[in-house]
Amino acid sequence: MEELLTANSATSLYWLGRYLERVEATLMEVSIAYDNIIDVDKNAGVALYKNFDVDLSYSNALDFLNIALLGEHNANLKNIVVQIRENAIISRTQLGEDSFGEIIELHTLFKNVSLATSYIDYKFIDNALSLISEIWGSLSKRQQRKQSNSFIILGKLVEEVDFHLRLDKEKVLSLVILEEIDIIVEKLTNITESKDYKEIDKHEIVSLVNAKIDMIVTDEISSI
Amino acid sequence: MLDKSSDVQSKFWEIFSKQDRKKVEEFKTYMDKFAINFNLYQDGNFIEQSLPFDIIPRIISKSEFSKMEKGLVQRITALNLFLEDLYTDAKIVKAGIVPEEFVYEAKGYLKEFAGFSPSKKIRTHINGIDLVKDTKNDEWVILEDNLRVPSGASYPLSIRDTYRKIYPDFFEQLKIEPIKQYPSYIADSMNYVNCGGINVVLTPGRFNSAYYEHSYLAEKIGAQLVRASELCVIDKKVYFKNYNGKKIRVGSVYRRLDDDFLDPTFFNPESLIGVPGIIDAYLSGNVAIMNAPGNGVADDKGIYYFVPKMIQYYLNEEPILQNAPTYLPYFKEDMDYIFNNIEKLVIKDVAEAGGYGVSFGHSMSKTQLEDMKTIIAAHPRRFIAQELIEFYDEKCYLHNELKERKADFRAYVVVGEDVKVWQCGLTRYALEAGNYLVNSSQGGGFKDTWVME
Repeated sequence: MEELLTANSATSLYWLGRYLERVEATLMEVSIAYDNIIDVDKNAGVALYKNFDVDLSYSNALDFLNIALLGEHNANLKNIVVQIRENAIISRTQLGEDSFGEIIELHTLFKNVSLATSYIDYKFIDNALSLISEIWGSLSKRQQRKQSNSFIILGKLVEEVDFHLRLDKEKVLSLVILEEIDIIVEKLTNITESKDYKEIDKHEIVSLVNAKIDMIVTDEISSI
Repeated sequence: MLDKSSDVQSKFWEIFSKQDRKKVEEFKTYMDKFAINFNLYQDGNFIEQSLPFDIIPRIISKSEFSKMEKGLVQRITALNLFLEDLYTDAKIVKAGIVPEEFVYEAKGYLKEFAGFSPSKKIRTHINGIDLVKDTKNDEWVILEDNLRVPSGASYPLSIRDTYRKIYPDFFEQLKIEPIKQYPSYIADSMNYVNCGGINVVLTPGRFNSAYYEHSYLAEKIGAQLVRASELCVIDKKVYFKNYNGKKIRVGSVYRRLDDDFLDPTFFNPESLIGVPGIIDAYLSGNVAIMNAPGNGVADDKGIYYFVPKMIQYYLNEEPILQNAPTYLPYFKEDMDYIFNNIEKLVIKDVAEAGGYGVSFGHSMSKTQLEDMKTIIAAHPRRFIAQELIEFYDEKCYLHNELKERKADFRAYVVVGEDVKVWQCGLTRYALEAGNYLVNSSQGGGFKDTWVME
């Protein structure tokens, strides 16, 4: 039987996947930049955050962590984690208890560190990353049972492409992910898309991939 | 009430004394994962907070609970018969058992539903009955019937789950009734009255005070959680709007919003959280709505007075559970009693709920008492007066100490093919010593309730 899902829940699951992927990918990049700032390249953090259209200034590696993750800018991870929680609350009935509980835990982790006066350190990043791995793990357990997880995976993959292209990573990898995205879209809409992404520039790919969700979810009733 | 001398309770304390108290923090952290929060607006701001809870459970022996269970089944059966009768033949009114002014002037009575009988003649699907245990005679006493949209069942479900994980010893060593079946009671009831289609839980949305409970229960019941905009009514049938534009027929709606807001084309036209046309679909027999619109008349504080008479009238039985002694100023002799004894009575405004509109005579000044008498004389139908029940305290582990707090108990009764009483309930305690108001909206906390052999 076709799985039932409101447009609101489907969109929330999609954004849950996107934001979770964004936090994970950012934490990984921040971790690398942090290591470089210590004794290789003081400006590694500045270069990284340019990709997110954020001008970052910091005094040392630890200061970088604090400002990068909690500073007042658009790539502030604490705010993104708040969005993850909001989307989880809206789509809770599709998530299962474990995933939902772990998301609340991730939110609490960020909330606590933002309330404390202490700096964020490597341990915080490790904790956050392992919690995110747990969330992906429990979501993938549900994946075997629920079609609605396709929306989370779609969000995750779209974010991966977006992130790759933003960071000017190899286009080949993005092309592989794009194929996966089209398989999910086909599964959810029965529409086969055979675009040759190799010929398209990265900005157009980003727009195309961001519009995928609109092909799938609608608030309107299609047939009576 | 947690008397160490009683058998079931001494077993609890024996195990409790061996537990690691440091695990209390772990308990709290684990509870946060469920995010069973309570939303409220304060000074124009949206605030999300977790409800205070206590780790010491209320313990009720199996035999004591069995008696309560019988009384609850009896009461809900009678209340359902009353509602069905009232909206169809109104025999009880014609027989003079319940005065017609009490029925037809009650805010919860909806004349538009007169003559309509819902699916399987069930109106009281999910009910929360508030009780306290009277210290005078050691008997449970009914304080209030909640037959519209009773909330709170997710709290005991979540605290029990936490308890089992953090302190499994109790459940291994004691015979505690399991409680996980509650969502299946609701699902069974929904399936039983279903008029053809899927089951949905209708929520006002993310910012409703009980939204967490709505989503928690929807997940457990296996029903779709929907807001009004995610349903539509076509040709007097209700449909669920799927993400891909397809419409799926809805057969049963567990609504978590009040009658007034349910359908802007029928009730309050300004409601933004209702489903236009849903009442038309309901009155056409195409969808079940639980609980039935119009139930408010039966949990009116004035009608409460007549519930024992309903039990006698419909079931020809004596009530197993008693009401708190109640006086209606509507009756001359009751009015006289109230005026002569007002300083020891509790006065309740029938239009209020959630602990609001409750005045304790013993804590009012002479002027306030005289003012109250004037208001009662002018609006006798608006008030009831009750004897103050001295109910038992419960031991609570607050700030690393055991303290006594007033506590009530909400029992949940679900009606489907059978009437089922959940072997648990919501025990609410007052945060301050000596306070009798335990409602969440009045700052009360909650604890688990164990029915034990």
